[in-house]
Amino acid sequence: MSTDLFNQHSSKRFNEELEALRNSVMRMGGLVEKHLYTAIESIIAGDSEMALQVAQEDYKINAMEVEIDENCNRILATRSPAAADLRLIVAVIKTITDLERIGDEAQRISFLASRLASDSQPQDHYRELKALGEHVLSMLHDSLDSFSRLDAKDALAVVEEDKLVDEQYDMITRQCLSLMIEDPGTIKRFMDVTWVARALERIGDHAQNIAEYVIYLAHGRDIRHIKLEEVRQKLSDS
Amino acid sequence: MSSNLIFYFIRHLAALFAGILIGLFLGAPLLGGLAALLAMLTWHILNIIRFEDWLATGQIEKFPAGNGLWARIFSRANYNRNQSKSRRRKYRKLLKEIMTSARAFPDGVVILNFNYEIINFNEVARDLIGFRKTYDRNQRIDNLIRHPDFVSYLNNSSNQSSIEISSPQNNDVWLSIRLIPYGVDQYLLLIRDITQRVRFELTRTDFIANASHELRTPLTVISGYMDTLIDDQNFPKMWSEPIRDINENVNRMNDLVDGLLALSQVENSVSAPLDKMIDLKPMLIGSKKQGLALKDCPINIEVKLESDVMLFGDETEIHSVVSNLISNAVRYTACEGNIVINWWVNESGGHLSVKDSGIGIAKDNIPRLTERFFRTDEGRARFKGGAGLGLAIVKHILVRHDATLEIVSQLNEGSLFICHFAPHRLSSYSHK
Repeated sequence: MSTDLFNQHSSKRFNEELEALRNSVMRMGGLVEKHLYTAIESIIAGDSEMALQVAQEDYKINAMEVEIDENCNRILATRSPAAADLRLIVAVIKTITDLERIGDEAQRISFLASRLASDSQPQDHYRELKALGEHVLSMLHDSLDSFSRLDAKDALAVVEEDKLVDEQYDMITRQCLSLMIEDPGTIKRFMDVTWVARALERIGDHAQNIAEYVIYLAHGRDIRHIKLEEVRQKLSDS
Repeated sequence: MSSNLIFYFIRHLAALFAGILIGLFLGAPLLGGLAALLAMLTWHILNIIRFEDWLATGQIEKFPAGNGLWARIFSRANYNRNQSKSRRRKYRKLLKEIMTSARAFPDGVVILNFNYEIINFNEVARDLIGFRKTYDRNQRIDNLIRHPDFVSYLNNSSNQSSIEISSPQNNDVWLSIRLIPYGVDQYLLLIRDITQRVRFELTRTDFIANASHELRTPLTVISGYMDTLIDDQNFPKMWSEPIRDINENVNRMNDLVDGLLALSQVENSVSAPLDKMIDLKPMLIGSKKQGLALKDCPINIEVKLESDVMLFGDETEIHSVVSNLISNAVRYTACEGNIVINWWVNESGGHLSVKDSGIGIAKDNIPRLTERFFRTDEGRARFKGGAGLGLAIVKHILVRHDATLEIVSQLNEGSLFICHFAPHRLSSYSHK
């Protein structure tokens, strides 16, 4: 599958519009990636200033979502796209919703980070959170990469990753729980840590959603709520 | 050419006449002519079919010999075909050589078209960015390198010559990326791995921050004892001068460590807050008083406030900028000199200027002024105090506030320092 999928129109203008749409989604994705990275980094570094910067700039992501949404509506109204083009528009509309939510979660993480920064740093510098954060970040990155490449194989790999993220999340909550029982004085802090882990886990789910839209976009198949083995079967059929 | 044409034309006409003549003998000239025409047509069609057959298969044994005009057409076509074949071979070889040299290039190279779509890239670029050989041709580069800084660099590349971002593949790897236009609407993207340098810089700033922090504790102890020693009346007279010297130097060291700490704090390039408003009026008037107190002889400081627009940023940092600029101005201005502080706003943003009638700065020294520990003249500057960190701190604070520092000066004609703040840092700016 290549990007030539969208290069078969007699109207050059339409091609350009679709390319620009794809590009704007990638731009939004880039901003979301940066926010998430900065939010995670600010927890590890205990830098509340860096964290609040993410929180301040969330409006940019929201503005981009509105703008892309409007563009999609305009293309739907004026071009009445069909087949692969229609799938692209639908996938874009869904993807930007998930991206916006990831932005919100990143904002939440950064608020928590600025609160955690006022506490003293634990010995391990939130090593588990860092691992989970990096995992989720790479999932988001790969799902956006597969979107720009329309690569269903990569997208499927992202969908499979999500199970590992869930496991990591479970592990962190269990760890936090045992630490809270050990020393009730740390409950406030570890509640925040749990919330961060929860937000990261949600971001993993959103990244998984985006990967699913990519498979839908590339193959025209909806793989939501289907077992992974069946998905693999379906994809190898097509 | 035309003589050949006439020759072949005459040959065809002759055949036609021959047909008519034979027809005359047989009593049907029209039929004879027709038969001759038919024969000619058949011959041509036969040749065309053979030609097509050879063109389609390209087999050497099917090469039609032909005769007359067709022999010429065949040989010409064959010649062109061989010619283009060898030309193609030559180009392929040239392309291979170019790609080999691109592969040997130590930096990543990506060729982009006018629309920033990827045409080709070398292996280093593939490793640094994580391109895929089969997927990423014709892909827009900013679909794969999505870092917002890179995207804005791509869209107005005139502002910066290059950009430093972390690799999309691995956040620990730092890349310096440079976009160079070449040929007709093509771009070359040069990618260099600068992880080593970035890490080195990080260790350096960490070291300065840690070292100055560690130096501070013993200094506090020393200056505490010095304070009591100075006030001690019972101390032998002969020690009073050394003690005053020690105290002076301890104080200078304290200033130096404070400066280094302040510098290491503002050195990271995180942007200053955008939601805190600073009113410059009380700050400038307060700084005027401080400036007057610095000098032990009369000096004129005038504060002009042409605008009451406020600034978004960190108040203590902006205060540090103002007091650094004013203390510099006071330090290098002789008694009875004039200093003018001004704040004004126009469409290009907000401007804060400090103008003095002091000794001025030589032209060669101006670009180096904001380097740490830089002094225009060792001998002259040292006794006036200051560690040589003030303008370095000013520069870094301004970077955090999306501002630039402009220095206009000539030796013995005073100097003018202007901070240019971007419009979005002003309270008058309306978000669209």
